[in-house]
Amino acid sequence: MQKIHETLLLLTTVVITVMSNAVLLATLGIQPTHGSLKPQKVQFQSRNFHNILRWQPGSSLTTNGSVYFVQYKMYGQREWKNKTDCWGTTALFCDLTNETLELYEPYYGRVMTAWAGSYSAWSRTPRFTPWWETKLDPPVVTTVQVNASLLVLLRAPELPYRNQNGKNTSMENYYDLVYRVFITDNSLQKEQKAYEGTQKTVQIESLTPRSGYCIVAEIYQPMLDKKSPRSEQRCVQIP
Amino acid sequence: MAVLQKKSMSFSFMGLLAASCLLLIALWAQEAVGLPISSHCKLDVSDFQRPYFTNRTFRLAEEASLADNNTDVRLIGDELFQGVNRNNRCYLMKQVLNFTLAEVLIPQSDRFQPYMQQVVPFLTKLSNQLSLCQISGNGQRIQKNVQTLKETVKQLGESGEIKAIGELNLLFMHLRNYCV
Repeated sequence: MQKIHETLLLLTTVVITVMSNAVLLATLGIQPTHGSLKPQKVQFQSRNFHNILRWQPGSSLTTNGSVYFVQYKMYGQREWKNKTDCWGTTALFCDLTNETLELYEPYYGRVMTAWAGSYSAWSRTPRFTPWWETKLDPPVVTTVQVNASLLVLLRAPELPYRNQNGKNTSMENYYDLVYRVFITDNSLQKEQKAYEGTQKTVQIESLTPRSGYCIVAEIYQPMLDKKSPRSEQRCVQIP
Repeated sequence: MAVLQKKSMSFSFMGLLAASCLLLIALWAQEAVGLPISSHCKLDVSDFQRPYFTNRTFRLAEEASLADNNTDVRLIGDELFQGVNRNNRCYLMKQVLNFTLAEVLIPQSDRFQPYMQQVVPFLTKLSNQLSLCQISGNGQRIQKNVQTLKETVKQLGESGEIKAIGELNLLFMHLRNYCV
């Protein structure tokens, strides 16, 4: 009983303190400080070189109604450039893929917010190098069954459209990609590595008739010792 | 000598050629690698295929870049390569590497652990492999560009050294690009 009373007392005190602060802020017409308006955790999230800037509202912003302004530049440039698509956006992200196309180059992004007539300071990302930070999706796997053998076709994730040279470049231009194919014999429920290498077409031969098999694949980047998540399973029944 | 001078031009040239061939064969036999000078500006691709060192180098750069708030000034960028043709860029990077090792990494070696102690030996090894790398012709432009980089680091003081560490990933990628 004593415990509950103490807790209640504490709660009441907290409520009163919060309320009186709110009243104080309201009566004095004080805006939240720039520091607490400032967008938080501004960072790039990159998948297959699609580079999205993401952030969270400042600590004092629990309500909606704030707009955000995004700028970017390559490291070493003096001028920040406005991202017009995200100039006054209410979203908490901004696609900067086309502004960060040089995969080996370091970039910065930054975000500022305006709320109730007040502007925050800029919040900047850490230095961002797409080549190093992007996460690769699993390969797309297609299987073609030929009697007792299986042809596995692998495709690396597509790069964002690059129009500066008009060329269709592939992921392999930037990493030495290795494909790994795993096969599970459904009756044994045992997974084995069926292939590891750079070929995009893999033939798995002499499978047991009247057996079921499932195939999954992943991409490995030897230079960075990183692997992609696994692909969707492709299952087949050998006649 | 006097006898040699009396002989025809082509004959002495042939002689010279034969002599150099013999010398090359002799060097080759001793496994002293009698390759043309320019090929000393070469690193093995395998140096850049070890994920451990790639990761460490990039992580070290990442750590240091977090401490570098000067986003306007970049050491390893277009300016550094301006006026330097591709053949000489490995030599240019060698100069940058040696400067970075001696004037930046060694003085700052207490910081950014444990990455620093893993990356320094790796870069030292690359530097040793490039020790015979020379350029033919005069390297005035290269010296000028490298000098600009050095002066920028010196001018910025400690934060210049941090900046240089924050660009180790760029150093790594350019060594790979121009020396392999």
